[in-house]
Amino acid sequence: MDIRLLTNADLPLIQHANLENLPENYFLKYYLYHSLSWPQLSFVAVDVSRPKKGPYDYPKIVGYVLAKMEEEPSDGVPHGHITSLSVMRTHRKLGIAEKLMRQSQLAMVETYQAKYVSLHVRVSNVAARHLYENTLGFTNEKVESKYYADKEDAFSMRLNLDEIKKQIEAGEKNGDAEEDKEHEDEGDAVGEVGKDPGQTAEGKQIKIALGKRPALGVGDLVEKDDSK
Amino acid sequence: MPQPLSAKDQTNFRNVVRAYEDKQYKRGLKTADSILKKNPKHGDTMAMKALILNGQLKTDEAFALAKEALSADFKSHICWHVYGLLYRAVTNFEEAIKAYKMALRFEPESAQIQRDLAILQIQMRDYQGYIQSRQAMLQARPGFRQSWTALAIAHHLAGDLAEAENVLSTYEGTLKSKPSRYDLEHSEAVMYKNSLIAEQGDYQRALEHLEEAAKQNLDRLAVMECRAEYLAKLGRREEAASAYRALIERNPDLQIYYEKLVEVLGISEDNTSERKAVYDEYASKFPRCDTAKRVPLDFLQGSEFRAAAEAYLTLMLNKGVPSTFANLKHLYADEFKKNTLRELAEEYVKSEGIDKESKDKGEAAGLFYLAQHYNYYMSRDLDKSLDYVEKTIEKDPKSVDYHMTKARIFKHQGDLSKASEMMDHARKLDLKDRYINSKAAKYQLRNNENERALKTVGLFTRQDTVGGPMADLLDMQCVWFLTEDGEAYARQGNVAMALKRFQAVATIFDTWQEDQFDFHSFSLRKGQIRAYIDMMRWEDHIRDHPFYSRAALAAIQVYLKLADKPSSNGVNGNGEDEDEALAKKKAAKKAKKEQQRMEREAAEKQAKQDPNKGTKTDDEPKKKDEDPMGLKLAATEDPLGEAIKLLEPLLEVCPKSIEAQHAGFEVYIRRQKHLLALRCLKAAANIDAESPRVHEQTIALRHALNGATDVPDKVAQVLKEEFNLIPASANLQETNDHFLAQHKDSPEHVLAAIRAKKILGEDRKSTDKQVIEMLDLPKTRYNDAISALQTLQQWRSPEEDAFKKAAQAKFPGATRFS
Repeated sequence: MDIRLLTNADLPLIQHANLENLPENYFLKYYLYHSLSWPQLSFVAVDVSRPKKGPYDYPKIVGYVLAKMEEEPSDGVPHGHITSLSVMRTHRKLGIAEKLMRQSQLAMVETYQAKYVSLHVRVSNVAARHLYENTLGFTNEKVESKYYADKEDAFSMRLNLDEIKKQIEAGEKNGDAEEDKEHEDEGDAVGEVGKDPGQTAEGKQIKIALGKRPALGVGDLVEKDDSK
Repeated sequence: MPQPLSAKDQTNFRNVVRAYEDKQYKRGLKTADSILKKNPKHGDTMAMKALILNGQLKTDEAFALAKEALSADFKSHICWHVYGLLYRAVTNFEEAIKAYKMALRFEPESAQIQRDLAILQIQMRDYQGYIQSRQAMLQARPGFRQSWTALAIAHHLAGDLAEAENVLSTYEGTLKSKPSRYDLEHSEAVMYKNSLIAEQGDYQRALEHLEEAAKQNLDRLAVMECRAEYLAKLGRREEAASAYRALIERNPDLQIYYEKLVEVLGISEDNTSERKAVYDEYASKFPRCDTAKRVPLDFLQGSEFRAAAEAYLTLMLNKGVPSTFANLKHLYADEFKKNTLRELAEEYVKSEGIDKESKDKGEAAGLFYLAQHYNYYMSRDLDKSLDYVEKTIEKDPKSVDYHMTKARIFKHQGDLSKASEMMDHARKLDLKDRYINSKAAKYQLRNNENERALKTVGLFTRQDTVGGPMADLLDMQCVWFLTEDGEAYARQGNVAMALKRFQAVATIFDTWQEDQFDFHSFSLRKGQIRAYIDMMRWEDHIRDHPFYSRAALAAIQVYLKLADKPSSNGVNGNGEDEDEALAKKKAAKKAKKEQQRMEREAAEKQAKQDPNKGTKTDDEPKKKDEDPMGLKLAATEDPLGEAIKLLEPLLEVCPKSIEAQHAGFEVYIRRQKHLLALRCLKAAANIDAESPRVHEQTIALRHALNGATDVPDKVAQVLKEEFNLIPASANLQETNDHFLAQHKDSPEHVLAAIRAKKILGEDRKSTDKQVIEMLDLPKTRYNDAISALQTLQQWRSPEEDAFKKAAQAKFPGATRFS
């Protein structure tokens, strides 16, 4: 299983994985909006050992994290946000979700100086909550009532990214002394080995104009908070 | 000449423009009409009115009025601009470009018109036009970095990398102070420039630039990856090795890093022990990393493989990783590895120290592995597979995964009905999981249960979407469901609904292509240029995605059947066709009723919506689907023309797809486009000269040419020179008989030869009989029997039932033959 940065050619199969796994779906343009706004933040897990099916085969996506920076943070603090995260049921227990999240978090700090990352999770999604709280160290900020289209509540969670920042700074100091050493590893897994939440989900309905052009610009894709 | 407006009407005109921008269409129309009452030939007002009408989806009226506006005031840039906007709205970008160019002629200073034109040009990949536009825009606003970046992009996409780099450097030269380390736009511009240098092949300069300008770049990963790559390309192996090691430290789950590291370390392909040592180092350093442990299985052989495979398998099965088989099945191409893995799994489940109690670890995981092993096409023994899966279910009677595998075994047995029920059973074991819900729906569609499948997926689609689950699936571009639904309809002979679904997929691809439109300007604002270039390159071949080819090929098959019908109706005016006509009438009636019901329900649902929450106002109508049941699609007068619309993009971006070339041949030969048919045939022969269909189509083309009387001389000349797969003088029957004799054991080849016989005019009874006899060949598999059945259906053979009966005897339980 490769963990790598998302490319635009991956998008149809990322959308497919999302549609197959999760109730919160988006049209392709919303994925494009992510990949063209914050191309460093979204990652995919790819089944590389699968034999190719013909000359026009695309890599099979078995998991992805779709992430962004909050465009206009209400608290004025730059921070990242996880729009959607999902791992195929068939590829659980390999720690894929955690690995995807860690790569994304690192890039949030490096590229965008994010101070924290936020996300929403269904109150009933025990496996996902376990990943966020126990493995990754998120804390539950508040309940957003009837956040999802089916009226389920969401936990609004966040993770402070100071620790990653410190590691990066330590790595940079090392790098000054030692030219070749680019970067310290951001650390081994903090979670328990073998405990994986499997498919986890975050996301919500976005308001979108479905009319013909010129109605739909990219501006319309910016996530609007329906709960307010 | 334009009519001058009174001061009051000038204000009114501005109000019309504002009303349009605010989507206050009714008010806008009213105001426009009041101006036109006094100034009936005021072109600009007519143009604005046309724009509003277009906003109300009255496209035809809008175009008519816009043309009138132009004849009233030919030199108005507003009239031309509106004309361009209307064309842009119907995505006729070529005409839009022409109109914008006219608008620009009359208003050369308009930044908005220039920008709109530029966007259209790059959307249409008019690189030279785009360069021109961008140059003009740069001259107008030289102080903006975006203007320079955009010109660089224009040169880059046009293929002039040096000039692109040059433009970026010129801008950098104007910078008085060094931008902040956290200037994202600058950071990206540096990396973009670096990619341009590398793309020119000058890795030395790219490396120097990277180390000098990107030392503190915000895109750390890109810097690290580029640096490793350049060092490797420059042969600076030691440095490259530590660069790749740094990347592995950062992300140990990316195979290519290890492969590159091995390469720059100078370890040869056959030195497996040193190669393995590289992986082992990281496997122990990162115990949670799968890649370092698994990849050596790809290159290890013999006892080394056995030892590594045992360690890996034991670890994975102890943990109960469900994807263990999926991660190893690619090794099955190697007979030794396939057998070794089976032996190891068998030994594992018999061994002592493993967990015998767990529902998914230890013994249970081992049994699950074996169930999947025997279900896989390269190691298939479905009875054994079923046996193992039953044992896993004993371990955990509520396991979704085990029941899912059981359903797949039934599918491979050909019993799609049982498979569908079993998958639905699995679904019920975890009602909150959409993955298993999707699988259940897919299996229902494979079993031709369209309505039930829609109900199943409807448990997860948004409940408040007007038009129900299908509307949500369409909105969300759910290609897989549309394709499977269409295929199920096609199997049942429901041409209308099949085409409806396949065309919906084609429309989604049109949308995806259009989606890039807004990003031509958006990406410049955001400054993420490499990502934008990546998108542009992907969009250039977007229709080579299997999502497109599968739906397009299926639709083409349906159109071919439609095209074949009228002629065969003419030839055989027998009772069977009357039955068919009657059935068709009935189906049409049923479809109409269904359509009415859907419309009624949609209207009711709309009425029930909370008016305060409604997102659509009256002023902004949503386009209604005029043909929800696909009746108009099925009634097409020109099925081959429709097929060609889907075929052409396919042949353009998938020339190496033999299925596309075969389909192209079938379409073009029916159109008597002999040269195009030949081109497809030759392309197919180049891909796979041994393909049975190449033989069949070679015979078909030669036969068609022998019988053709009206081939123009020039065409005949080219055909004579180019069509050398079979000599013009060949006795086609003998050639075909020879081919049949040569391949008498291969069901695929035999079927192709029988089809060729049919083309050569052999008696229907005889060819039908031979198709049925094909079932008796020892090598005939389920898929061959399906192809044979499809052939009989295509011929509309009276022997279809007889064939099914015989096939059922050979493949008991296979639903497709019942």
